[in-house]
Amino acid sequence: MKIRFKLNGTAMQVDCAADRRVIDLLRENLGLTGAKESCAAGECGACTILVDGESKLSCLMLAAQLEGREITTVEGLASEDRLHPLQEAFVEKGAVQCGFCTPGAVLASLDLLKRNPSPTRAQIREGLSGNLCRCTGYHKIVDAVEEAAKTMQSRERP
Amino acid sequence: MKQVLLPRTLDELWDSLEADPNTAVYAGGTDLLVNLRAGRINTNKLVCLERIEEIRGVRDAGAEAFIGAATTHTNLLESPLVRSEFPVLAKALRVLASPAIRNMGTIGGNIVNASPAGDTLPPLYVLDAEVEITSRKETKRMPVADFLVGPGQVRLRADEIVKGVWIRKAPEFNVHHFEKVGLRKSQACAVASLAALLRVSKDGNIESARLAWGSVGPTVVRSAKVEEALVGRELGIEKLSEVAALVERTVSPIDDVRASAQYRRIVAGRLLLRLAESGHKK
Amino acid sequence: MGAAVPRADAYTKVTGEEKFAADYYSPDMLWAGVKRAAVPHALIKGILTDEACMLPGVITILTHRDIRGSNRQGVIRKDQPVLADKKVRHCGDGVALVLAEDSETLRRALDLIRVDLEPLPGVFDLEEALNQGAPLVHEDNSCGNVLLEAHIQTGDGPNAFEHCDAVIEGCFETPWQEHAYLETEVGWAREEGDGRVVITASTQTPFRDRVEVAEAIGLDLERVRVIAPYPGGAFGGKDGITVQTLLALAALNANGRPVKMWWNREESFVAGTKRHPTRLYYRLGAKRDGTLHALAARLYFDTGPYDHLGGVVMTLALEHAAGAYRIPHALLDAWCVYTNNPIGGAFRAFGVTQVTAAMEQMMDMLAARLDMDPLELRLKNALTRGEKTCIGVTLTGSTGLVDCLERIKQHPLWTERGAWKAAAGPFKKRGVGIAALMHAAGYGTVVPDYANAKVELTPEGRILIYCGVVDMGQGNASTNAQIAGSILNQNMDSIELVLPDTDRTLPSGSASASRCTYTFGNALIGAAENLKKQILQKAADLLMAPSTDDLALVPGKVFNRATGAEIPLTRLARLMAESERTAVSHFRAPVAKDRLNIADELRLHGLGHAVISYGAHLAAIEVDGITGAVEVVSYLSATDCGRVLNPQLYEQQIHGAICQGLGFALFEDFQVDRGSVKTPDLATYIMPTALDMPDMESLPVELHEPTGPFGLKGVGEIATNGPTPAVANAVADACGIRLFRLPMTPQRVLLALQGQESQ
Repeated sequence: MKIRFKLNGTAMQVDCAADRRVIDLLRENLGLTGAKESCAAGECGACTILVDGESKLSCLMLAAQLEGREITTVEGLASEDRLHPLQEAFVEKGAVQCGFCTPGAVLASLDLLKRNPSPTRAQIREGLSGNLCRCTGYHKIVDAVEEAAKTMQSRERP
Repeated sequence: MKQVLLPRTLDELWDSLEADPNTAVYAGGTDLLVNLRAGRINTNKLVCLERIEEIRGVRDAGAEAFIGAATTHTNLLESPLVRSEFPVLAKALRVLASPAIRNMGTIGGNIVNASPAGDTLPPLYVLDAEVEITSRKETKRMPVADFLVGPGQVRLRADEIVKGVWIRKAPEFNVHHFEKVGLRKSQACAVASLAALLRVSKDGNIESARLAWGSVGPTVVRSAKVEEALVGRELGIEKLSEVAALVERTVSPIDDVRASAQYRRIVAGRLLLRLAESGHKK
Repeated sequence: MGAAVPRADAYTKVTGEEKFAADYYSPDMLWAGVKRAAVPHALIKGILTDEACMLPGVITILTHRDIRGSNRQGVIRKDQPVLADKKVRHCGDGVALVLAEDSETLRRALDLIRVDLEPLPGVFDLEEALNQGAPLVHEDNSCGNVLLEAHIQTGDGPNAFEHCDAVIEGCFETPWQEHAYLETEVGWAREEGDGRVVITASTQTPFRDRVEVAEAIGLDLERVRVIAPYPGGAFGGKDGITVQTLLALAALNANGRPVKMWWNREESFVAGTKRHPTRLYYRLGAKRDGTLHALAARLYFDTGPYDHLGGVVMTLALEHAAGAYRIPHALLDAWCVYTNNPIGGAFRAFGVTQVTAAMEQMMDMLAARLDMDPLELRLKNALTRGEKTCIGVTLTGSTGLVDCLERIKQHPLWTERGAWKAAAGPFKKRGVGIAALMHAAGYGTVVPDYANAKVELTPEGRILIYCGVVDMGQGNASTNAQIAGSILNQNMDSIELVLPDTDRTLPSGSASASRCTYTFGNALIGAAENLKKQILQKAADLLMAPSTDDLALVPGKVFNRATGAEIPLTRLARLMAESERTAVSHFRAPVAKDRLNIADELRLHGLGHAVISYGAHLAAIEVDGITGAVEVVSYLSATDCGRVLNPQLYEQQIHGAICQGLGFALFEDFQVDRGSVKTPDLATYIMPTALDMPDMESLPVELHEPTGPFGLKGVGEIATNGPTPAVANAVADACGIRLFRLPMTPQRVLLALQGQESQ
């Protein structure tokens, strides 16, 4: 079936099986391998994408559900010459180790900061609590989100 | 390849349901797609309810509120009405799965999935919620406790869907309490949970009580005996401990990979003790 | 050096650009998958593939009959078939390999394969495996179900207990721990036009894999190339073969099309290796003043049906069984046994986690018996440089246990613990526990722990480092850039890394054993220094300087301090021959030189290490009296891992290891019933989320290690060992209970509390 949606700001139309999982559509058909598959059952958060700005799990969505939506994957966050403040903070604060959970954690953080621009560390932990990380112990991911929140707020202020 | 339909109205939905009775209906997909992958469901047609506006959102209807079945947990958590009128539900939603699952999963899904561990169910029981069931022909209301029959079993025909839940406001209760015991703080399936509504007098006496436990029986456990045992007593450790023993005898948990029946039984009773800290003691 | 520099790989990982082994796809690719036994022990009567073969989209189905090589793999003992032949020995054994056009066809074909199995009685308990008449996992093994056993006696052995004033006993059980890396086992392979098979896999051991693949399926070594991108987590679970051999076999039957194999989470849980379960019997004796006098320990390790690295794990555990304490008399016995359970293998800290959990609880139990402060008891017995460990290894390197303990002793979390505990809220009990740690790095004696580094000045004037050791997330690749950049005095943006590739980089051993930066770093220092000499010499020639004395290598150029003349590296590089532009160096790690009174077999398995890191941990916890849940409120560690080259990477290693350790202590309960996994996925195998972890403070105790690159020692594993005993001791401190089984789940804690009440 033909499905129309916006992917990282670009309008697209794809022709694929209606019941194709969104994670497969992104990774195999569209070559966007930033979203990772790790459990395929909604337990780990590695496949997190944004759908109309909300974090969702692309392993538990079917292609047909993308119709008319705006999708953001980790590939769509940085502008031409500049990382998104969250990406910048993940790099600077040491929140990245093996990196397999990183795209999902960055996108979950973006959803959190949109709803709560200046979260406490406890609120950051809660916002990230669906994104399993086996390398960092989360401490530096929390540092990074805290830092990004500050940067994003200061950039928004005139 | 399976057909996937996304009706935008209930009328469109009826057409898609009647065409093939062997259709799987879902909203958030957080349970159905997991079951599909595991081979526990076999179907060639999926109908997704996420775009039917008539069954989304929270509506204030005076003495009651209506929550559309396809309202996500996140929408509910962000609803001022839910937060002010139904704190017991909001407390359960806050610890339901993870943020992304809350962005996808719906209250209707949590009800129809009928897991003994469904986090919204004990709050809906103590709120005496009613499920609104609708088909092309009729619409009816049924107490949530009647609707849920057993694990994964509900009173719902193939031509019907749950349209939403009706919850009566209950301003007489000044304690809204929910606690889930899981194996971690997030992404945790309930090993036992307790929802409680209490009216506690200024001098610390329990004037009325509604209590419901999750994960300690085939469906949510509510017990008139337990509630009666608390009413008229002082809200304190001593009385709560006494009733905890009664709770242990009332619940009927099972052993599974997460916890033993013995632990569930004990902890179901002990969860009562936390009520002593609900801020309404003398 | 010493600055907190962001990692070289962070940028591509945070944008999604980094290509992991899981990220390979192409339009002409095939999918490969394995039919697994699903029963723990059985004879194979037949493998019926006809129906599956008929399925449109199935390319071929292979069994052991299609393997021309040894069909055996294993790091030490080659006892694991690629595809099972006569019998299956655990539920995860592979029986048939399917190649299909797409993943859905693959799944259906696997369902259609019927394996005719005649069940055999199984053996599932690590002590019962030793019984006379127990079912044999390997009929051809000369010592029944024993893979390796060891007996070490020092001093007067068990007779010394007679002279102890206090004797403590305990039996500790630790379960499997699943690595649960986010990237499950995955790879991509293709047979090239010249007949070579190129395997791109998520692995810690590309060079060893190459040999294993070639032998197992009967290919010339030259025909196998292994490329190792950054793995999405590994932690020991990718130390050895996972998908590699199967992929190579598939690629040889794919008509040149690329093949992908990606185990899903459930398959990873069933077929992948895990931390060995153990049963550990301890007896510890001391004098009245707390001086340790005698230790007896019987250690049992369940390796499942295959060695993998079981014997080596057991041996490292044995070396650490007594902790970093002075104990003059000991009797240590250990057995690593075969069972029909899942496969035990390497997991970060490699057996030391289990014995430290036991020994460090014994120390607290002893302190309680003697009414001593547990920290003072440890300080009193802590080994210092020049002393011998319990089994007789002389500590020749930097030895910072006392320093680590002193840092904990002075910290407010320790000094003010009384007030903190007293402030617990309703239904809460608070406790503070500590643990002292040591962890040896490298392969130990006999098996050479070496690395070969190569550095190149590219014709474009950039620096290329050929990394021989995989970076599975520890950041050693970044540290390589830091080391070479520092010696060659070049900016990070002019340094590039070639990741491990058996064609391009040089063999340098595995990414394991806290050795990566230590061993490869030392080799890299040599290579970088050689290259520096070569660059300066060439510059001197071109600048007609009498010697290199006045020349300085600075970012992007060589500068003559005497004349002010300079030559950019871009120009210099073009004028250098390839042999001048590249430099290599070899390094072999030192091992313990003591003549230990141990069996040769233990030496072969690595016993006797020379480079050892130390640590002390503190956990402040709160037990909920209603549910039994244990919350870790604060966590403090002090670590002597030599000089810290990059504090950010140092903290990453400590934090991550603590998180895995806390998972092991409190959450991770890999359950197996008669060989069958009862926690098959991430919904039932519970790991800590961000909400379950505390903020962590990680103090470096920077003693200089003379043999280490820039004074460094390994830090990858040690912190895994602290959380279990620190938390267990804290729980005992909070409410007087001690659980001898892990993890300390709310259920176990609450039932223990209730048992205590009823007594």
